[in-house]
Amino acid sequence: MISKKVVLIGKYGVGKTSLIQQFVHQRFSEKYLTTIGVKIDKKTVNINGTELNMLIWDIAGESTNTKIPKSYHLGAHGAIYVFDLSRPFTYENIVTELNNLKKLISNVPIQVVGNKLDLLDEKNASQIINSLPLEVSFLTSAKTGNNVEPLFQSMAKALLK
Amino acid sequence: MRESDTFKKLTRLILEEERQAREQLENRVEVIDQNLNEREKLEPRIAPILNDQVIFLQKKFPELFGPAITASIKNQIKDSKDEVVEALYPIMGKMIKKYILKEIELLSERIDKKIDAAFSLDNWIMFLKAKFLGIKQGDMMLKGAMDPVIQEVFIVEQFSGMLIGSYSRITSVDQDMVAGMLTAIKSFAKETFSVGDQELETIEYENYKIVIKNFPKFYIAVIISGIISKAFLDKLDDIILDFVNKIINQRSEKADGDFIEEEFSENLNNYFIKLKKYD
Ligand SMILES: Nc1nc2c(ncn2[C@@H]2O[C@H](COP(=O)(O)OP(=O)(O)O)[C@@H](O)[C@H]2O)c(=O)[nH]1
Ligand SMILES: [Mg+2]
Repeated sequence: MISKKVVLIGKYGVGKTSLIQQFVHQRFSEKYLTTIGVKIDKKTVNINGTELNMLIWDIAGESTNTKIPKSYHLGAHGAIYVFDLSRPFTYENIVTELNNLKKLISNVPIQVVGNKLDLLDEKNASQIINSLPLEVSFLTSAKTGNNVEPLFQSMAKALLK
Repeated sequence: MRESDTFKKLTRLILEEERQAREQLENRVEVIDQNLNEREKLEPRIAPILNDQVIFLQKKFPELFGPAITASIKNQIKDSKDEVVEALYPIMGKMIKKYILKEIELLSERIDKKIDAAFSLDNWIMFLKAKFLGIKQGDMMLKGAMDPVIQEVFIVEQFSGMLIGSYSRITSVDQDMVAGMLTAIKSFAKETFSVGDQELETIEYENYKIVIKNFPKFYIAVIISGIISKAFLDKLDDIILDFVNKIINQRSEKADGDFIEEEFSENLNNYFIKLKKYD
């Protein structure tokens, strides 16, 4: 069976843990727990008859007290960068942060995700993504589950290419 | 005039006496002042007194403060008995178990050392045989229960944490996830606590010990239960190095591509079955 490592990154509180929980356990949890700044989940997906193990590293955002080792990102086969549509400070430096990420992992698929779509109306959401200097791959809500499955499915497909 | 001369003399005499007295006094004050202000001088004089006080307090502590403390603790426990029991029970259990294991481990290490020193390998085996023949069944069983057992072996790619191969007696946990978490813990420990190139070598986890051997591209983690002696660890080292030399390194020469998990796992089984029998 093929296994791939996917890292989820983004500022504290944008909904990384919640997105994974939606995808892996199909439920939404308000709880947040971190000790060493990372948690690893696994989900096996089937893409056109090919089984793929996704090992998803949920890396805590930088405003937590724990210092996050850079090496958590190393060897990732794909990355999902999450920001919070309702808090501009979580996407203000998105270009710089993505460039820093690319220094650690190059030539892997990276998806940019605007989460907490449920907190905005459609007009606001499209205004935000139009204002960003890069393409947003998915708009999601970890709360309603909206677009969560398609996000990971598309990552899985990109991993198998 | 004569009279006044005498008077002058007299005053001088009297004053002189007073001056001397004052000077003496000043000197004395100076000494006291120094004693008080210079710590090194003050300390030897006060230390014995303080010491006495400390000893007194130590002796009298239970008497002086004991009742108040006891009463307060008693109240707290009374008010939350269930919580206390709930909180203490597992900890005590684990502590006791861990303590006993640790003690036996130390003992077995001491015995190892003694044996190493006193016997050659052949003699050692004979000695053990003789001993075991005369040993009580209960003791044998106890020893059997505490034998080191390799529960799991993971070969994991450095940093990415991807599992390259594994051996497992019991498959109870998700090995991919354990490999990932172990790698994360390793990275975390390295970045948080270590100096220079030092690496995490063992992790104690409840009654398990995780022994980690690092190589440039991967590391091997061995999860062991029971009592682990120095001799066991030496043997483990040998087996791991042998495995790396014969199986992993030779393969990397042949093919530069990705590691293939199944290939290593199969070989791991053959290797660690040997260790399973090691006693
Ligand atoms: N309304 C809403 N709240 C969300 C959503 N995703 C996460 N949250 C909440 O945002 C907070 C932070 O989420 P969490 O997953 O812990 O963020 P992380 O730090 O990125 O892992 C929690 O209180 C979540 O309940 C979402 O899509 N919509
Ligand atoms: Mg989180």
